[in-house]
Amino acid sequence: MITLFRSPFAPPRHLILLLASLWLGLALSEKRLERYQISKEALNNIIHFSLLGYIIGGRVLFVLANLSAFTHSPWSIFSINIDLFDPVGAFVTAVLVGFIYGQRQKLPLWASLDALTPLFATLAIGLSLSHLAAGTAFGKPTNLPWGIHLWNATRHPTQLYELIASLIIFGFIWFRKVDSPSGSSFLLYAALTAGARLFLEAFRGDSQLIIGGLRLAQILAWIVLAVTLFASERLRKEEQVY
Amino acid sequence: MQHLPRRILYSVILILGFVWILFSVDKSGLSTNGKIPAPQTGFLAPDFELKTQSGETVKLSDLRGQAVLVNLWATWCPPCRAEMRSIEKVYKEYKDQGFTVLAVNMTYQDEATKIPTFVSEQNLSFPILLDETGRMANAYQMRSLPSSFFISRDGIIKEVVIGGPMAEALLRTRVEEILK
Repeated sequence: MITLFRSPFAPPRHLILLLASLWLGLALSEKRLERYQISKEALNNIIHFSLLGYIIGGRVLFVLANLSAFTHSPWSIFSINIDLFDPVGAFVTAVLVGFIYGQRQKLPLWASLDALTPLFATLAIGLSLSHLAAGTAFGKPTNLPWGIHLWNATRHPTQLYELIASLIIFGFIWFRKVDSPSGSSFLLYAALTAGARLFLEAFRGDSQLIIGGLRLAQILAWIVLAVTLFASERLRKEEQVY
Repeated sequence: MQHLPRRILYSVILILGFVWILFSVDKSGLSTNGKIPAPQTGFLAPDFELKTQSGETVKLSDLRGQAVLVNLWATWCPPCRAEMRSIEKVYKEYKDQGFTVLAVNMTYQDEATKIPTFVSEQNLSFPILLDETGRMANAYQMRSLPSSFFISRDGIIKEVVIGGPMAEALLRTRVEEILK
């Protein structure tokens, strides 16, 4: 399957898949908007400003972190190289920009997050396909019969595990009948995604390890899971009070 | 009454999650362990032995202890041409710190006669290797030109850049990374 993705044409297939999922996710989020009393324009603006924040923030933070390299060639700041990019900084900037825009437009936070949840769930599917296309986020070696040959070893097909998990999570979100209290869709999505990451990271062959061989992504996923469970409990309590 | 079972359920989920984290600890220290050669970040760079234009043989594993940029290129490839001057500039700047460049020409899909002109036009001083059979390109799963592999002193690929041209600042950041 990976060989199929890698064959003849050279454009960055993983990026094309991500962009396609962004477009599809946005269309799906728009379809559900009437539930959350948020205008199509407001939703599109959140996405556009966040995307702009993602692109500019990723480049600016990369430049700031590597200032000495850019003092020798300042024009590189405007290079079209996508590798001159800080993905974590870009993500943080996008979230901040989206949040500030929402606050300025007085958009309800939880309802906005619920409205964006189909987009997040579709992006997660796109991301797993993108990993499959690029051969990244690969698994550790295995003897299991469903192992795939990748990077000169038979490995857990972690990209497929990720794809299956993201499809199931999307199904949970999309076909959910109850949509209250406000914020519950988003929190359910975040909890399921964190749970899936916590479980599937164990099969990865490229985990970032910390003290004692602990996998950093699992620790972060566990924290996110704990926060979302706590937040959903609070939302439920608040709803009962009102 | 409903709160208590939910709280218990959440606590059980978190405890199970924590146990799973401890169960899935990677004791090898590094998941890829640097032992399997593959053209991907975190793996041992696949070894190759190729001839230069002057007939001298260069083997990648003989350069262990040096930071190496393996750049796959062809004379007909405009982005390859566009990034060569930056590579040369960065090479001259960092070579005394143990940095070297192996520019592997995809001779099996290029015209070997054009290489000397290209090299003199670009004023290149690093070794130009010739992949006449496509074996090296195959080992590095070449998909696009140029392709660059930044290899640390212990032979591990730290970064792969597919396509180009690479900006000079990108080259500097990656070279400084593999020289650490």
